[in-house]
Amino acid sequence: MFKKILIANRGEIAVRILRACRELGIQTVSVYSEVDRTSLHVRLADEAYLIGPAASRESYLRIDKLMNVAKKSGCDALHPGYGFLAENAALPRACSDAGITFIGPSAEAMEAMGSKTAGKQLARRANVPTVPGTSEPIENPEEAQALAQNMGYPVLLKAIAGGGGKGMRVVPNDAAFASAWRDAGSEALNAFGDQRVFLEKYLVGPRHIEIQILADAHGRCVSLGERECSVQRRHQKVVEEAPSPVVTPELRRKMGDAAVRLGRAGGYVNAGTVEFLVDADLNYYFLEVNTRLQVEHPVTEQVTGLDLVKLQIAIAADHRLPFAWETITPRGHAMEVRLYAEDPDNNFFPSPGKIISCHVPTGPGIRLDEGVYEGWTVPMDYDPLLSKLIAWGNSREETIARLRRALDEYTITGIRTNVSLFRRILAEAEFLRGEIHTKWLDEMLARPHPPAAPPRQGTEEAALIAAALWHSAQSGATSAGSAESQATASRWKMEGRRQQMDHMP
Amino acid sequence: MKFEIQLTGAGGTRKHAVELERKGDVCSVAVDGEAIDADAVQIAPNAISVMLGGQSFEIHISRSMDGTLNLQCGPHEFSAEIIDPRAWRGRKHGAVEVEGRQDILAPMPGKVVRLLAAVGDAVELGQGLLVVEAMKMQNEIRSPKSGKLERLLVKEGQNVNAGEVLAWVE
Repeated sequence: MFKKILIANRGEIAVRILRACRELGIQTVSVYSEVDRTSLHVRLADEAYLIGPAASRESYLRIDKLMNVAKKSGCDALHPGYGFLAENAALPRACSDAGITFIGPSAEAMEAMGSKTAGKQLARRANVPTVPGTSEPIENPEEAQALAQNMGYPVLLKAIAGGGGKGMRVVPNDAAFASAWRDAGSEALNAFGDQRVFLEKYLVGPRHIEIQILADAHGRCVSLGERECSVQRRHQKVVEEAPSPVVTPELRRKMGDAAVRLGRAGGYVNAGTVEFLVDADLNYYFLEVNTRLQVEHPVTEQVTGLDLVKLQIAIAADHRLPFAWETITPRGHAMEVRLYAEDPDNNFFPSPGKIISCHVPTGPGIRLDEGVYEGWTVPMDYDPLLSKLIAWGNSREETIARLRRALDEYTITGIRTNVSLFRRILAEAEFLRGEIHTKWLDEMLARPHPPAAPPRQGTEEAALIAAALWHSAQSGATSAGSAESQATASRWKMEGRRQQMDHMP
Repeated sequence: MKFEIQLTGAGGTRKHAVELERKGDVCSVAVDGEAIDADAVQIAPNAISVMLGGQSFEIHISRSMDGTLNLQCGPHEFSAEIIDPRAWRGRKHGAVEVEGRQDILAPMPGKVVRLLAAVGDAVELGQGLLVVEAMKMQNEIRSPKSGKLERLLVKEGQNVNAGEVLAWVE
């Protein structure tokens, strides 16, 4: 097993990895940029080294600096987390050159499966269903249009270098094809410097369901079941759950087998996720592979009882997967919400700043993977993900009730968070029935806000009294003393009274 | 002590009079002239527990950039503007339009990525003055009044802190 691991990340995922290392008795080394000196992942690490200014490309994306820290501090392994360099094949290559174990797939497997086109070609070879479409970019618009007519509208034009919805166009009918082709190409050229697009059948209202796989270096590859991630805002996952409300045991087995076939075909080792789109008739189509740990991995952990980060480390240390089964059946239900420093009442504007107070939920069935603390200033330079709140229970209903309860306990002041968005989602009838798809949240947000339930009787009065009391305590205005002096009676006086009571017959 | 508090919640904005008297351990409260059986204890620097006839409420308080108080009570949120009796004199009452020279403050730490108006330009209420980028999002800072952009205190590419003065509109 490793002695010391470099965590090449920040925020909640760096903290998550740190905790797994600590439980395994492995020393941890964090890296930080100039604005992250006081971040939680730095406070909790055994060692931490400054690697540059705030801008990611000068710090968290600098492979040379990471390698220097790893060598200087004597690390024998590196965990990339997600984001930053996690899917950049140059990082595993640099690690292997430096004699450091990369906790993740090989550079070759990353390249063979990570890109959208390469992944799709591999899926076809492994007999995994893909969305009907071209596996190669099309150069000729007439040829593309003929294909679209053949496939049937609607179709989707997608930039080969794409991501985040850029260079993507839905073509509803033949008449709209020419202009959509032009727009997708020029947008892709502007965004990625590559105007090539490919063509796909467009699925109406698909679900996003993904399979977690684990593969060791000894030829065992297993599926840990699915996660439903259909609740997305502009292609970003917002709420994830396991199991999916629509996946049957039979479908789970079929999708799990397909994901394992794909992992084997790509020579994949370590944890990976195979993403699928699932249509209304429960046909599943391969979307892409994420060759890393996912943000939403805790929901799988809660329903399988496994610790994915520890298993990743064990696999990287050449251990065999410690189970004999080929697939696993989920127990109970788990759901995760991603808490962002953004203002849902103001167009989801980012809201960095100082956290004045932070009261976190606890109690049965609640897990908080956090990266923040009271008094910390959320920097403006990175992704606004603060923490992930995960609830689990015996049923989907119990899990949702727990999540709602935990959200009501969660109070963060000083910055705005998207907590109110989750309260709204968790109250929507369609969500409660599990009738969701990848555009569902965008459609919900486009509808007018339903009026919120009025606060219970007395809330306004309580708020007024609190405001007056706080104001007077702050300004020291009340002659009758502050709130604290009233809250704590003199202990000497109390002790005296107690002794007198004892002497009573 | 008597406070005039303007409270804004989901149901709208209303002005209330709150009287707070503390005699030893006993706190007497009146809201809008009506005495209330209330007990309020500060349980943390920014949290107050209020009991109203057995009903328990917890209110978390923070001060926002514009000086108003942000009050969170479970899922409900209010903002309160307190008119301190000692500060009554000299206060502008009922001023709807802002007057005089206005400081344009950065609402968040970030980087000025674009200037949308030049010094000396006539600007309208709500017109964009500059764009500040934070957390990979671009946010337009708008003019609080119609007038003239008198000074710009920042340059394109400059980093700014929350509350920093960006410009003056006269």
